Amino acid sequence: MIWINSFPLRACENLRMRPPAASASAHDPAASAPDAFQALATAQRLAKRGLRRLLCLQVARTALRLGFAATAAMAVGRLVMGEPVASWLVPLMIVFLLAACVAGFAADGAQASAETAVSIGLRELAGKRLDEMPARRLQSLSVGSVIVSMQRHPEAVAALVVGHRAASTMMAAGPLLAAAALFLVSWQAALLVICLTPVMILFFALIGDAIRRRADAQERAFGRLAGQFADRIRTLPTILANHATSSEEAKLARRLEAYADNTMGVLRIAFANAGIIDFFASLSIAILAVFLGLGHLKLAMIPGFSNLELWQSLFILMTAPEYFAPFRRFSEQYHAKAEGLAAADALDRLLDAEPLRAKVLPVLDRLSVTLPPHGLVAIIGPSGSGKSTLLRRLAGLEPGRKPGLGPHRLAAEDIAWVSTDAYVPEGTLAEAISWNAGAVDRTRLEDAASAIGLLDDALLPDGLDARLDKGGANLSGGQRLRIAVARAQLSGGTVLADEPTAKLDHETAEAVRRMLLEMSRTRLVVVATHDRNLAAAAHLTVDLTNSDAVEVAA
Amino acid sequence: MSTAVQSSSRKSWRLATGFAFVALGCAILLGGVSAWLLGSVAIAGLSAAAFTFNFHIPAALIRLFAVGRTAARYGERLAGHKAALADQVARRAELFAAMAAAPAVRQAGWQLGDDSRLADYLDDVEDLDYARLRAGLPALTLGCGLAVLIAGSAVLAPLSLLPITLLLLAILFAGNRVAEAGAMAWGETRSLRRGGASRLGAAMASAVPLKAEGAWNRECAEALAALSRADGAQLALRRLQAMPDMIGAAFGPIAGVSVTAAAWHAGRQGTELLAPMLLAFSWLALGEAMNGASRMLVAVLRRNAARTEIGQWTRVAVAADRREPAPDDIAPGLLRHGALQRRAPDGRAIGTPTALLLAKGHPTVLVGASGLGKTSLLKQIAGWIGDDAFAAGGRILSVGERRALASLVLHDAVILEDTVRANLFAGDAPDAALWRALEAVEMGGRIREAGGLDAWIRQDRFSLGEVQRINLARAWLSSLPLVLLDEPTEHLDEEQGQRILERLMAHLGDRIVVISTHRASSLRGARTIELQP
Repeated sequence: MIWINSFPLRACENLRMRPPAASASAHDPAASAPDAFQALATAQRLAKRGLRRLLCLQVARTALRLGFAATAAMAVGRLVMGEPVASWLVPLMIVFLLAACVAGFAADGAQASAETAVSIGLRELAGKRLDEMPARRLQSLSVGSVIVSMQRHPEAVAALVVGHRAASTMMAAGPLLAAAALFLVSWQAALLVICLTPVMILFFALIGDAIRRRADAQERAFGRLAGQFADRIRTLPTILANHATSSEEAKLARRLEAYADNTMGVLRIAFANAGIIDFFASLSIAILAVFLGLGHLKLAMIPGFSNLELWQSLFILMTAPEYFAPFRRFSEQYHAKAEGLAAADALDRLLDAEPLRAKVLPVLDRLSVTLPPHGLVAIIGPSGSGKSTLLRRLAGLEPGRKPGLGPHRLAAEDIAWVSTDAYVPEGTLAEAISWNAGAVDRTRLEDAASAIGLLDDALLPDGLDARLDKGGANLSGGQRLRIAVARAQLSGGTVLADEPTAKLDHETAEAVRRMLLEMSRTRLVVVATHDRNLAAAAHLTVDLTNSDAVEVAA
Repeated sequence: MSTAVQSSSRKSWRLATGFAFVALGCAILLGGVSAWLLGSVAIAGLSAAAFTFNFHIPAALIRLFAVGRTAARYGERLAGHKAALADQVARRAELFAAMAAAPAVRQAGWQLGDDSRLADYLDDVEDLDYARLRAGLPALTLGCGLAVLIAGSAVLAPLSLLPITLLLLAILFAGNRVAEAGAMAWGETRSLRRGGASRLGAAMASAVPLKAEGAWNRECAEALAALSRADGAQLALRRLQAMPDMIGAAFGPIAGVSVTAAAWHAGRQGTELLAPMLLAFSWLALGEAMNGASRMLVAVLRRNAARTEIGQWTRVAVAADRREPAPDDIAPGLLRHGALQRRAPDGRAIGTPTALLLAKGHPTVLVGASGLGKTSLLKQIAGWIGDDAFAAGGRILSVGERRALASLVLHDAVILEDTVRANLFAGDAPDAALWRALEAVEMGGRIREAGGLDAWIRQDRFSLGEVQRINLARAWLSSLPLVLLDEPTEHLDEEQGQRILERLMAHLGDRIVVISTHRASSLRGARTIELQP
């Protein structure tokens, strides 16, 4: 019975659905910034303490199991031979066994805790990186890959630096302990199993190489078919819209089958790896049993295998599998390595990506205007002239020259940002409007919402109590924008609005204009807009149309 | 599942099961017989019996078991994976068909178009795919091995059954706890993960406003904290697993010790103890096989969770009629609805009912601000949502019939990972026609550059505008009488959009065409309907 290691399948079918990563070698560590994220090194640092504890427990478990093997062999051997069994032997055996099990229990727990701690720690650090990232960089990242990275990758890296690392260390420590125990009884037996190891490792290397070559060949020939199921699920609406369901279904079945056939080809070699460990473990038992048997019969005088007590033979027989067990555990961890490395690489790529080159906007660099403490300021100009950029500069989201603000400064807490991608928390409309504004009086809320038509919106039938999905999934851009306008009205801070009247019908747009104007009586309201009516109402207009000269009209 | 595939998978499973039994049997006997041999020869070695002892048969058996264990394990792995893969192919093809029939696909916002949701979904599918290999097969062989050894213990050392039963009960108890509390922990892990992911997604979608208002750090930290709490819930599951694993690790040795002790207690001595010793070492070998048995329980509880989740997608689909009737004799020139009630994606009515008269040769342009249900209206016409009945000539066109007649060009259509040809969905249309379509949408050069019609393409190699144009080429190649274009010029600059749209309208002159747009455009012969809230 074996725990089937389904690595090759997972790797083949699921991992590759993600867009192919730039290869690790393309990511030159020397070229990355001095404060590169380095997920792997960071995780290793985080794992240090937990790993030490885990290794101690695993070594203890192995040692205690060997102790149990020795005492059990002694008790059984003496019993069979009709020799007296010391009264302390059986209790000692039980103690060894129970202690080994408890150590194993503690080791399992320690591994789980250590991996969770690393995963959480790594995620926190990654979150800090996201916090430091400029807004435009964040915006340019694919939302899906950020979520996948934050959700799954820390866990995969943790499994690599804790579980896999412990297994590879134990591959040295476990056999050493077992060999030492054998050595106490018969150094020749110890030598025999030790001599088998390099042969096994040689096979390992040969087969590992064959697997890689075979997998590469498969990737070249069939790599395209790897993520077909995922791709067809992703693209289902498009397939349906083009009436291609049955043809795609047939094609998918064909491709899945071709890929599965090919995967079996890789598995045939990959499983040879585990087969080798099984072979050597079985072989060592068979060789030892026969040698020891011959020794007991005194038919052959093999040094180290003759003149042993029965308990010594039994002990050797019980210990030999312990010698090979760490190899097996390590080979089961193989997929953890592949997944962990891929995850660390993906995290690095996500968090260390080159900063976006700022758009060259000479017009903004010539800008010299001081904004009044209150009033409506309109930034106008064609698409791409830098209206939104100027707004982001004002908010301190992007470096670069920005209009003077007179004596007062703009702190993030005083900014109310209005745009179609305004944040909408899950909850009621009332909660969405009062989000980030503390406790707000219900009447004020109602006034603000109704002034811009949020309360008689056909799509929000329950007024302030209408349920909104997380992220405003059930809202249109225009609705989100108006929620942001209402929020700005309540916040009392400086308003920076990006196209506040786009995507609105005439009446609603008019209501929003009125509200912006009203707000501008007591505070600064800066709008980037195409809307002529809104621009006409402004107290100050910054026109970015002409790239040679910024026109400012009061 | 086709019968050929089914029978081949069944054969593989039978083979894998056979190998698994042989592997476990060989492992148990290898340990048992080796120990028995040592005991026998040690006793024989004390007397003259050493010279008559038949050493060769047990030695040969031991070698046989050693080789048999290795070979059978390899066979088990291979046959098991072959069987699981055959099942996987069949199940995934079936699942695709069932998903295609799920109503959610035709509604607004395809959730599995999102990377992270898709990754979760694939995990679930995988949990289903491998449950039998990870839990079913090992549980079967382990159970049989247990039964045989328990029977042996009952014969040789009845008293040993007491500790063995007690330990088995303890394992069952701990296993049951994993099954129950573990399922809850796993459920919590899943819901926390999903909550954190959607919260992070919402924050990412509003990155600029959140950063400007200084609220990003808080929102991001809270989303990540939910993901970390999910890790914590998973930790609870792993801690639960450690308990049955600990008892499992003690089980083999304790059973072995108990058998020996019970036999000794019954007064057996010397050679009489050899058979119990064989059994004791067999228990030790079985104990090795029980290492990490909690993984079986986890595989089962994950499978159950996955089944529920995937069932939610496909449950309704089973009832729904998958087949689209193809009324190829109908080519309506006119489609009419007296008072069509527009509906929001969640089914609420929008605005007052509108009279619709769609005629071929006169494109209908639906204009309105976002959120007025333009896409939903197109889907209603296409028969994707709602159950409206449209009149065509003298008859009523049902939802199913309209689905079959309509080519719906979604504004969020995507590129399949496949060839350009497959992406155009034009069946066996000649190459020249495909190229004409690509030229019409100004993608000819780009596709030639990518390697022609049989080049393998994927979504991330194209800009949004290019994807949109390939999407319009699909409309160009459609031969259906009803063509519905949702925001056809989105992601295109104004001039190019207008150019392509005019070409497309000229080409589709003999069809009923409906276009939704949020910016009014002038099309020859078009009738514009302004949608009001």
